[in-house]
Amino acid sequence: MTSLTDRYVAATLRGIPEKQRADVERELRSSIADAVEDRVANGEERVAAETAVLEELGNPTKLAAGMVGRPVYLIGPELFIAYRHILLLLLGIVVPIVGVVQAIVAISGDAGIGQAIGAGILAALSIAIQVAFWVTLAFAIVERVDPATWKDADLKELTAPWTIEHLPDLPSSGAVSVGETAGEIVTLGISIGGLLYLRDWSWVDNASGDPIPLFNPALWDFWFPVIIGVLVLQAVFQIVKLLIGRWTVGLAIVNAGLLSAVAIPFAVLALTGELINPAFADAIGWPQLAEGDSVAMLAVAAVSILVNGWEVVSGFRLARRRPQTEMEYAR
Amino acid sequence: MVDDELLGTHRQELRRGTVVLACLLALRAPEYGYALLKRLAAAGIPSDANTIYPLLRRLEERGLLASEWNTDDTRPRKFYRTSPAGSALADQLMSDMTDLTASLHALNGGAVE
Repeated sequence: MTSLTDRYVAATLRGIPEKQRADVERELRSSIADAVEDRVANGEERVAAETAVLEELGNPTKLAAGMVGRPVYLIGPELFIAYRHILLLLLGIVVPIVGVVQAIVAISGDAGIGQAIGAGILAALSIAIQVAFWVTLAFAIVERVDPATWKDADLKELTAPWTIEHLPDLPSSGAVSVGETAGEIVTLGISIGGLLYLRDWSWVDNASGDPIPLFNPALWDFWFPVIIGVLVLQAVFQIVKLLIGRWTVGLAIVNAGLLSAVAIPFAVLALTGELINPAFADAIGWPQLAEGDSVAMLAVAAVSILVNGWEVVSGFRLARRRPQTEMEYAR
Repeated sequence: MVDDELLGTHRQELRRGTVVLACLLALRAPEYGYALLKRLAAAGIPSDANTIYPLLRRLEERGLLASEWNTDDTRPRKFYRTSPAGSALADQLMSDMTDLTASLHALNGGAVE
């Protein structure tokens, strides 16, 4: 029958390198025996004494880690801030890109919108898990390597002392400026004007001298009027935002709705091959341009979604910000 | 009255830094692990076995302690002794500790008693 001490010693030795085991075992057994005998001499029953001594020594895995000087944490305070920074940075960049690209690839196949969104979310989730795993693993390894043996300067940077150069700028406070509003409205005006202009003007004419428009003329029956209407609403939104003076959660939600109402139809029209006038594509000698699965249309859809998606996110970010300093409160 | 849990946490923090010094000072007279624990406790520095045993190994690895197995007794025991390097470190830390205590007394509004 194995005693509790035998089991405890065996459990401890599992965490000790081979060449130290004999020494650790001998010392540990003699220390336990000393403590048990002391308790028995004080009138305790032997098994109760043994149990008490082993419980005082605590988790054998932790004891072994202490003897070897191995950390009992995955990533310590020295590296944690760099770890979190790099992890969030990578997640923020890689996950949306992979998700959107996967959704676009799915939509350019036979998948419907719902399936494509599902595929995008799945891809984003699985890449997020991958990124988190590999970054964590890399930092856990760095944590277990003696810094003195680091040769790579970048690695040393991770634990370099903080200097004033690392001080971040004050974040923009979410206050809305006149210049920014004017810029947005001019951009919207150019978009609306451009759409209207391209209805009756083109780079190429047909045999009878009439222009062949870039965009599918059928879209003027419904989608382009809707999109122009939403763009006008976006301009109104900019003025309302200026009057309120700062981003709020409500404004960010409206902003998200207005941007989606343009970006999503635009991307879907591009991907279904309805955006570009086939006659125009033929006339310039690039018939594939009008097809939904052409590289050009994939790019149009991706840029539309990514740019507007970024605007939506930054609206919420700015809405969450409170004035950061007394100076800004005074403004 | 200070909250027991709070007191416990801060006491532990305060003592953590002095365990190494206590071991280096005590082991100028060679001793094995369990006897050292009892001596520290008797001197008013109670310590946990699972703190002291790993600490002894790490101090030995850094050359601050030397060890020797004694097999004359009823059971074999590993005796630790402060090395010259460990002794020099202990002198330095002891003088720092004295200064620190004096500084704390001064901050507390009086001279060292």
